[in-house]
Amino acid sequence: MTAVKSDDAPRLAPSQPAGPGTHEKRTARRGKLAAGGLLTPALLGLLLGFVLPVLWMIRMAFNEGAGSGVVIETFTLQTILDPLTDSYYWGIIWNTFSMGFTSALLCIIVSYPLALFLTRTVSRWKGILIAIALAPLLSSDVVRTYGWMVILSPDGILNSALLSIGIISTPLQLANSMPGVIIGLVQIFMPYAILAMISGFGRLNTQLEEAASSLGANRMTTFLRITFPLSLPGIFTAFLLIFVLSISTFVTPRLLGGGRVQVLATAIYDQTTELLNWPFAAALAVILLMLFGTVVAFYQALTKKLEGE
Amino acid sequence: MELGIGRRAFIASTAVAAAGVGLSACSSGGGGVEGSATSGPINIIGYAGIWEEQYRAAVIEPFLAEYPDITVNYASKRSSAEMLSAVQSEGGNRTTDITIMDIAVSNGGNSQGIFSTLSEEDVPNIANVNPDLVNADGFGPVVMLDAVSLLYASAEFSTPPESWEVLWDEQYRGKVNVVAPPSGIGINLTAITADMIGEDFTTSIDQTVTKLQELAPNVQSWAPNPDEYQSVVTGQTVLGVGQNARAQYYVDDSDGALGATVPQEGTVYQINTINLTADAPNPEAAKTFINYALSPEAQTAFAEAMYYAPSIDNAELPEEVAARLVEYGDDGIIPLDQEWLAATRDEWTERWNREIVNN
Repeated sequence: MTAVKSDDAPRLAPSQPAGPGTHEKRTARRGKLAAGGLLTPALLGLLLGFVLPVLWMIRMAFNEGAGSGVVIETFTLQTILDPLTDSYYWGIIWNTFSMGFTSALLCIIVSYPLALFLTRTVSRWKGILIAIALAPLLSSDVVRTYGWMVILSPDGILNSALLSIGIISTPLQLANSMPGVIIGLVQIFMPYAILAMISGFGRLNTQLEEAASSLGANRMTTFLRITFPLSLPGIFTAFLLIFVLSISTFVTPRLLGGGRVQVLATAIYDQTTELLNWPFAAALAVILLMLFGTVVAFYQALTKKLEGE
Repeated sequence: MELGIGRRAFIASTAVAAAGVGLSACSSGGGGVEGSATSGPINIIGYAGIWEEQYRAAVIEPFLAEYPDITVNYASKRSSAEMLSAVQSEGGNRTTDITIMDIAVSNGGNSQGIFSTLSEEDVPNIANVNPDLVNADGFGPVVMLDAVSLLYASAEFSTPPESWEVLWDEQYRGKVNVVAPPSGIGINLTAITADMIGEDFTTSIDQTVTKLQELAPNVQSWAPNPDEYQSVVTGQTVLGVGQNARAQYYVDDSDGALGATVPQEGTVYQINTINLTADAPNPEAAKTFINYALSPEAQTAFAEAMYYAPSIDNAELPEEVAARLVEYGDDGIIPLDQEWLAATRDEWTERWNREIVNN
């Protein structure tokens, strides 16, 4: 059989003249297909690992729990309404929100100077300094929380130091309390806040600060009128990240809270693993998701407003 | 710019990968390999930590030496509720053969059809179990007993405290640890407190809650870490409430820094049953293990290692071991119907959360 070269192949139909942009359209279509193909595994993973479990969890919240792990398959709003009409669970929701808000706020306050310094520094050690700031991430939250338990306990380093210099006469109740949990969370989430702020400080421009100085602004005015407003996107991103991490965290409130700090994550754990009331646990998780959603919506509205300005 | 991957090639490779994942899931998630009474794998769920360590050494390893063709896969859980949850989540595709768990939780599993009945024909050593500790409906029998004890720092007490009232003593403000419900420790302390103040806890715990509210200022932590025993051993707290068996183990382990005693007002049992899962993948070998776990040698070995009281009548314990554990039929046991407790546990937990811990 004789091979036929493509150039010699008979043309069955007259070729269409290539119109303007046809090649670009074809290339764009291929690019879209390739991008879609490349995204498919990730989207499948997201569907199987996140979307379906969340949908399953939401469906579970409309079932009814009957003790000892018995789930009554039904469709009732009562399981979600129960915590929403109970002042005790509103207390837990408030604890969760206030813990997240306070931790995020304090975390931003202590991390901001570090992030600003790490962004600005021209030191040849900059990379190492950033690595040091992020180094706590190398140890697990559990280990760091245990460390704080030792530091904050009634006989711990902090209370001993304050007692020895006479600032307090009786040990402060730091461990097994909400203040202790917040102290732990602030330190544990600092590396995340620093990272988020460093990446969000893109709009900071030293030339603008120099211009402000040359026009007579002192350092404080320059900071308040130029540096701080331009760093707000980074601050908001970091705040959102820490808030979300804080309200969903379980380990630190569980270990440092000493049973006294009840937040949604610990209540969900108890309902899931100890009381085996999965529908009620799912209802609490849906409430937590709603809290997430509200804060994310607020964040988006705020960032849009800022971008508009 | 064209990317160097064809659409068809991509779809084909994705399909192959998905098929691979599917096949792998089928092979790993199946019901296991069936074996005979003396061969094949059995999957056991039991308690974690020191319990697992001691049970492996005292029971599982000697069992494997006697039945070399059986293999044991042990999965540990922190609580009985977690164990039941794990078996429930297996659905119709059971992988667990045996669970050793608290009777209040296993009763729930029995009523849901999660566990199977066992006869003396299946497990001959059931004949040796104290008749009171055999399930009337034929479900998994009691395999060991324990009780709640008062933990104390030996350095602080020249003689063991004689009353649970010591927990309320103002001189130990902030020096007491109690594991709050839903943990069994807190639930059992509710019954002990009610009995101590003369309230019938089967009808009301109002006075008990008031009494426990008075305890709250003394409590440093309602969730001591790493646990209630180490909290006392390390000096974080001076008094606590724990399980007698584990406490006795830590008394030895801490060279006596921890003390454990059952006060004069009495205590309540913590009872563990051994349960064969319905539709277990290897029921015959599982029955062989259950039979071994109810044998005098296994019961004695675990009592010596971990101070759990045997549930069988023909186990001979050394005197020094028997003196440190709470056996079935001992005096001073506060009667607590476990089936009733299973139904009341949620309500008591709610009252603790709302009125005691977060008050």
